[in-house]
Amino acid sequence: MQFLQNNSYRIYFIERFGIPEHVLNTYTFWERGRKVWAFSGELWDINGVEVFGIKALTKGRDLKPSTAFLRIVGKYAKKNVIFLDDNNTLAFLRGRELNIDYPADGGYVVVRRKDDVLGCGFYVKKEKRLISLIPSKYRLQETWV
Amino acid sequence: MEEEKLKYFEKYREIIRDFDNFLETLKTPQPYWFRVNTLKIQEEKLIERLETKGFRVERFRGLNAYRILEMPVKHPGATVEYSLGYYYIQDLSSMAPVLALDPQPGERILDMAAAPGSKSTMIAELMNNSGTIVANDISVDRIKSLAANIERLGITNIIVTKKDARNANFDGKFDKILLDAPCSGEGTFRKNPWGFQGADEKGHSILGRQQKMMLRNAVRHLSEDGIIVYSTCTYSPIENESVVKYGVENLNLKVLKIELSIPHLEGVKEWDGEKYEMYEKCIRIYPHLVDTGGMFIAVLAKQ
Repeated sequence: MQFLQNNSYRIYFIERFGIPEHVLNTYTFWERGRKVWAFSGELWDINGVEVFGIKALTKGRDLKPSTAFLRIVGKYAKKNVIFLDDNNTLAFLRGRELNIDYPADGGYVVVRRKDDVLGCGFYVKKEKRLISLIPSKYRLQETWV
Repeated sequence: MEEEKLKYFEKYREIIRDFDNFLETLKTPQPYWFRVNTLKIQEEKLIERLETKGFRVERFRGLNAYRILEMPVKHPGATVEYSLGYYYIQDLSSMAPVLALDPQPGERILDMAAAPGSKSTMIAELMNNSGTIVANDISVDRIKSLAANIERLGITNIIVTKKDARNANFDGKFDKILLDAPCSGEGTFRKNPWGFQGADEKGHSILGRQQKMMLRNAVRHLSEDGIIVYSTCTYSPIENESVVKYGVENLNLKVLKIELSIPHLEGVKEWDGEKYEMYEKCIRIYPHLVDTGGMFIAVLAKQ
């Protein structure tokens, strides 16, 4: 399956998170199947590509941003960002759900602790719940510091 | 058990300077080294955070390379900072081929045997995520670990391909090529002495033939004024100087003399009746020089 360039996905990050356009113009966006990849390199016409930059979005009923890409551009987000304190940070990184009242729209959010962009969460505004979407491979283990 | 395994290295007594010290160093566990992922955090900030958590680290000669002296966890990757992609555990010797490659922002670089991505991601960091890196590996499983590291470190200028580096077409010419060739891995002994296999004469010879094929393919993809960094993590001259000699005699390559701030020795002059005239320009890093693993490096260009 080929990667097809579609830079219109920049608009999602601009509209949902208020990330400045010039930040997103650093990347070209490429679709393959349900995944959208962001790439900051020079274009290269090459066969047999397995990975093209970094996974940025998954297509479904809604677009779901990846933790990996939010960890790169999330620091520029101006809206739908939730800042956590230290205790909630550890819980979020362990993949736990948090009860939290925060001035953000419902849906996908950038979750931060001070300068750290922790990743992607899903905020259920009515129920004031923040669901951690940290992939299991990045989840904090009890033995970590 | 290790004593028995150490006998394997006796074959190199004549070519490794200060050999007894070399053997003694092999008996000791290799310390962990890491580099800060400056795409995500400043060096000073990360070091401060790790020290607050109880790490004690030592910077090496102004390089973005830190040796861990003490840590509060069993594995240096068991931290939030590691999970966030703020550092990469990588032996100092493994950083050397990338320093020899000297990647610059905007360049086109091919890493022919890239997984698990230590060097590719370091190249990307030095290029500040600009230009293009084609990171190739033949193994699906190894590509998965490469992709995971790319993702964790936030690398966005890498294209990963799954091709046979011996004969694959990478569709174009590159400014720089890293051929960190699959090898017998003798330089990794300290990391895993229990699992160490090494190779017999026939094994070195088979690997040497494959490495020469890869070097031939690298030349095919090199721009006229480009360079190839050929490296392995093994000591066998059959997989090192002999491959470089093949490049000089059959592929119209020359060996460039480079400066490297990591302590090293020159290459081997002669092995098993074969003479290597370019040995002085080759680089060998041994565990007893700065408490690392082992590495061979040669920088090649078209004549």
